[in-house]
Amino acid sequence: MLFVAVDIGGTFTDLVAFDQANQRLYSAKRLTTPDHLVDGILNCVNASGLALTEATQLIHGSTVAINTLIERKGARTALLVTKGTRDVYAIGRGNRPDAYNLFFTRPKPLAPRAAIYEIDERLLAGGVVRTPLDPADIEAAAKQIAAEGYEAVAVCFLHSYANVAHEEQASAILRRALGSRYVTASHEIMREYREYERISTTAVNAYIGPKVSGYVGSLEGSLRDSGFRGELSIMQSNGGVMSPEIAAKRPVMMMESGPVGGIIACAQVASALGHSNSISFDMGGTTAKASLVRDGMPAMAEGYYVGGYESGDPVMIPVVDVIEVGTGGGSIAWLDEVGALKVGPRSAGSSPGPICYGLGGEQPTITDANVVLGRLDPTTFLGGEMKLDLDAARRGIDEKIAKPLGLSMDAAARAIIDIAIAKMSLAVRQVSVEKGYDPRDFALVASGGAGPLHAVAIARELNIPTVVIPWFPSHFSALGMLLADERHDAVRTFPAPLDTLDFKALAGAVAELEGDLRSMARQAGAQIEIFLDLRYVGQEFNLSIPVTPQQIAAQDRVGIRAAFDELHQARYEHNAENEPVEMINLRLIARAPRAKPSMPTPGGSSAPARKRDAIMHAGPATSCDVYERDALAAGALIHGPALIQEYGSTTVVFPGDRCEVAATGELVIHLAK
Amino acid sequence: MIDPVTLEVIRNTLPAIANEMAADLQRTSYNMMIYEVCDFCTALTDMQGRLISQNVGGVSHFVADLGVIIEDVVAREGVDGFSHEDVFITNHQRVAGQHLNNIVIYMPILHRNKLVGFAMTRAHWIDIGGASTGLGASPLVSDPWFEGLQLDQLRIYEAGKLNKTLYAVIRDNIRYPESSMGDLRAQIAACRLGVRRLIELYDRYGADVVEESVTTIYRESETRCRKVVASIPDGVYEAESWYDDDSVTPNDPIRIHARVTVAGSDMTIDLSGCASQRRGGVNSRTLAAARVAYKALTEPSAAVNEGSFFALKTIIPEGKVMMAQFPAPMGGWSLIVPTVVDTIFKALAGAAPHLIPAAHHGLLGGSIVFIGKDPRTNANFVLQSLEGGGWGGRPHGDGESASVSVCQGNVKNSPIESMEIKTPVVVEERSLRTDSGGPGQYRGGLGIDVRVRNLVEGKWNMARPRRRKCPPWGLRGGGQGGGAEYFLKLAETQDFESVDQVMRPVPADSQVIIRTGAGGGWGDPMERDPQLVLDDVRSGFVSLEGALRDYGVAIDPGMRAVDISATQAARAARRRVAAE
Repeated sequence: MLFVAVDIGGTFTDLVAFDQANQRLYSAKRLTTPDHLVDGILNCVNASGLALTEATQLIHGSTVAINTLIERKGARTALLVTKGTRDVYAIGRGNRPDAYNLFFTRPKPLAPRAAIYEIDERLLAGGVVRTPLDPADIEAAAKQIAAEGYEAVAVCFLHSYANVAHEEQASAILRRALGSRYVTASHEIMREYREYERISTTAVNAYIGPKVSGYVGSLEGSLRDSGFRGELSIMQSNGGVMSPEIAAKRPVMMMESGPVGGIIACAQVASALGHSNSISFDMGGTTAKASLVRDGMPAMAEGYYVGGYESGDPVMIPVVDVIEVGTGGGSIAWLDEVGALKVGPRSAGSSPGPICYGLGGEQPTITDANVVLGRLDPTTFLGGEMKLDLDAARRGIDEKIAKPLGLSMDAAARAIIDIAIAKMSLAVRQVSVEKGYDPRDFALVASGGAGPLHAVAIARELNIPTVVIPWFPSHFSALGMLLADERHDAVRTFPAPLDTLDFKALAGAVAELEGDLRSMARQAGAQIEIFLDLRYVGQEFNLSIPVTPQQIAAQDRVGIRAAFDELHQARYEHNAENEPVEMINLRLIARAPRAKPSMPTPGGSSAPARKRDAIMHAGPATSCDVYERDALAAGALIHGPALIQEYGSTTVVFPGDRCEVAATGELVIHLAK
Repeated sequence: MIDPVTLEVIRNTLPAIANEMAADLQRTSYNMMIYEVCDFCTALTDMQGRLISQNVGGVSHFVADLGVIIEDVVAREGVDGFSHEDVFITNHQRVAGQHLNNIVIYMPILHRNKLVGFAMTRAHWIDIGGASTGLGASPLVSDPWFEGLQLDQLRIYEAGKLNKTLYAVIRDNIRYPESSMGDLRAQIAACRLGVRRLIELYDRYGADVVEESVTTIYRESETRCRKVVASIPDGVYEAESWYDDDSVTPNDPIRIHARVTVAGSDMTIDLSGCASQRRGGVNSRTLAAARVAYKALTEPSAAVNEGSFFALKTIIPEGKVMMAQFPAPMGGWSLIVPTVVDTIFKALAGAAPHLIPAAHHGLLGGSIVFIGKDPRTNANFVLQSLEGGGWGGRPHGDGESASVSVCQGNVKNSPIESMEIKTPVVVEERSLRTDSGGPGQYRGGLGIDVRVRNLVEGKWNMARPRRRKCPPWGLRGGGQGGGAEYFLKLAETQDFESVDQVMRPVPADSQVIIRTGAGGGWGDPMERDPQLVLDDVRSGFVSLEGALRDYGVAIDPGMRAVDISATQAARAARRRVAAE
């Protein structure tokens, strides 16, 4: 059994593989090929020396979904809604989260008003038909949509969570009439009430659908052409994987498919080292991301808004909580109109990339600054496969930053790094201090190609005592994907008082959702978890209570009720045992465990390979010990200043800090007090 | 001198405590005024009632308004008069100064048996007995006894022991006891959480460090606010506006007047020119208008604390409408506040043009309130939603549409599906209203129409918003925004009629349109880029006729293009008229 995981980021495509037969891990990193993403994957496969024909599993995560949405590069999308609700998408919830900001901006719909078609159909709460759907209306809309040249269509009718008939009928007509155009209906993604959020989720799915489904299709085709005969899986925002067929239908589930792998890996690696509380810090080429793991579990977002709560697109899917800032290795340093030095959010990406890549980049980046400071070795980047042009990086920083600011070149390079550190510290602060967690109680797990270069400085800024550099930091998301299970989520709004809940109808709904989930899951025998969202009558928010099929069969009102009262007490410190309870949603999760790789035990020595001059703090360069990570033995102790190099990443240990190699090979850096 | 990391942790933890209290309260409350309308606040104060931190995102007009209650209780009880697990309840207008539905629950925080502060919540209960002002009956109410139950700084728990008599008196004298007693539990739980979190902080860092940090945080907030005010030219700036009436005395407009003095980094907001207290329930005792305006101008994104207002002086003489004396009726206490905030902005529009948009709709929502009995369940129901309106054009762009007022922050409307699941109504439409936005170089945001059909008989609240005589104004030549109104069509009639009536009984199958106001325009509409006008016409935000009438832009009926020569002629003619 050969498991392969591939993670495509804005700058690099990463591969990690695990061969169960010989218990070996493989890795590779290649530049992302934006015009034909599949090339980057095949380049990685070739570089790793693996035979694609041998792979039994290939798990894939990608930023293609989220980038398509954030960069507003999706399809021209039309929307079909119930008569009277054309403006619901624009009106949203009417709220202004940024309460005192007089110049707030509301989320902008993906379908302009002219692209939203009202259909004279209407269901009532509970799904009873009030106005039947007239197929002729859908045919007429389809004609207009074709004439206007829309590339994708989203259908979201009121109360469709309770009765999918009208959406099914409409989408079938649209698919027939519009041929290859991408059509998606809200019930195909989630059957949960709240029309604005559901419209937004459906519109996002349609908007990114053509691009993402095309991408998944061409990926699978190319892999097959290259001899891959195994099973392809796509990473989802919920921390599980899905099949390419499902990904093509529900691309919105891929929204956070890149970062989620790193968080799964962070939770496992940190817990194994005794840090059940950890912060995942992942710095790639274009952005840095922070997320919190508490008691070994990644924090889940309580509502997910792509682009931020204030003015982002709401998406009703389960997703891990990630704070992201536009600071990555490729982020460009620039001077604004008054001559102030800024870093990011614009990134040189992988093409043209930083100046030092020598691929035509002319704007100095964070990576260029690291090369100039001597922290990155131009001769050993990516194991020496890619030579970096130090002189060009120096020239770029000198001309674009140092001279205009009247700084020395070294000072300019340091200033670029310092600004980046301050920005990224804010993201780490947002997931910890701002939620009331003292970062001193956490370990920072650094990943992404640029993470280990900057993690110690960020930890120092926030007084985090310990930094962990895991195996394959520059492939960490990919590593996490190898650790992920298959998972599918389904939800159905099912309002009913618990006292009179029709358990037969509930069992029917469970069976229906379970059927949906099993049809999505490729592994037979997936475990099904059932949750009822319950609340006291009159409340709006709910708690998800796990129930068993036996409880449903036995109509165990008392037990379910008691579990709810208990959780309410535990979570909110009060409950109301005499108040009526109602159910609002039914949720199912299907989970199928997968084989997990084990980490290799490090052998080797503890001696530095050589010395190199690098600038650590203000002042001249210091002579640093340089270590090759692959050669380090478990238990080795390294005192800063030191640079620890490995394929795809370099760890900076500052003077006074102490780095220990854990028994399982992770670098554990203890910061000087 | 506190080390910077500790200071940073405390600086961020204090608002996090208030926000955690808020999240708890919001998630476990029983009425949508709390969980959806966010008509509540949670806060920590020091023992003098100075605000240590307050939750973010609730209704803005609760900003830093709890201190007076603490000053009052400490004066009555003495600093040694509090025990662990005391829980106080108050809504008395003599001090609290708002409608009686706003129930304040708070607990003293004792660290090593010494009073160090209070954990507090204020939340809008759905009903407080009396004439049911929480559901819009405020215009009917002429005094506090008519309004409902008055609770004057009472201990509902004394050192952890429930006062059963008081509990029963409250439970038996309100209409929805299951809802409000649930809210009471949720408020107490939020306070307990606040007490515990602050004690943890005191235990961890020590009283001296926490208290010195709080003082430092106050000073930092003050400094940041002063910087912004210092950038506004010194001077005395004034503006006036009107609120139609107090709903009791017709044709007697309520004058609103703001006199803003900027001297260096000091700002004084003098509201002495506002009307005296009225017979109708628009009265209050509140500094909210001045504080909301000041906060928006100085530090809109930062957490609020007492230091946020150290450099602001607010003047409101006793006996004025916003400093009314007990027993003036206060059932509609906050109705005029957004208009007062806008008037303060208007005063500063010339001095700080880059900070000020044109007027917004200025109303606490297009308020949807329908009550009745659901024949399916035989239970009483309340339908509620607050709908947004248009905001004013900005110095650099169009105003946003369909957004809640300056006082309402993260207040959300109710989803159509949620309303229909919970109550026997059908929401027939929720739409943007063409041509409602005030014309301007930067157009005002649009108001909306929500049309609701009630499937069973019941009572609609249709108290007309009181901004007909003074609609949302434009700035620098921009036009005014469209006004707000209620329309009713009874089951047996053909047409909708404008209505101004509190708790109007209607038969099943009647329909109501809730219309919200729109924003004023910014700048001369004749200067608006004709291409933007064409975009607006294509989107239906502006009609073809409106384009010509309000913007002097001629567009072909197929909406294909701007007729440039006709537009130039129309605009030239308009300018000639204006010059004359």
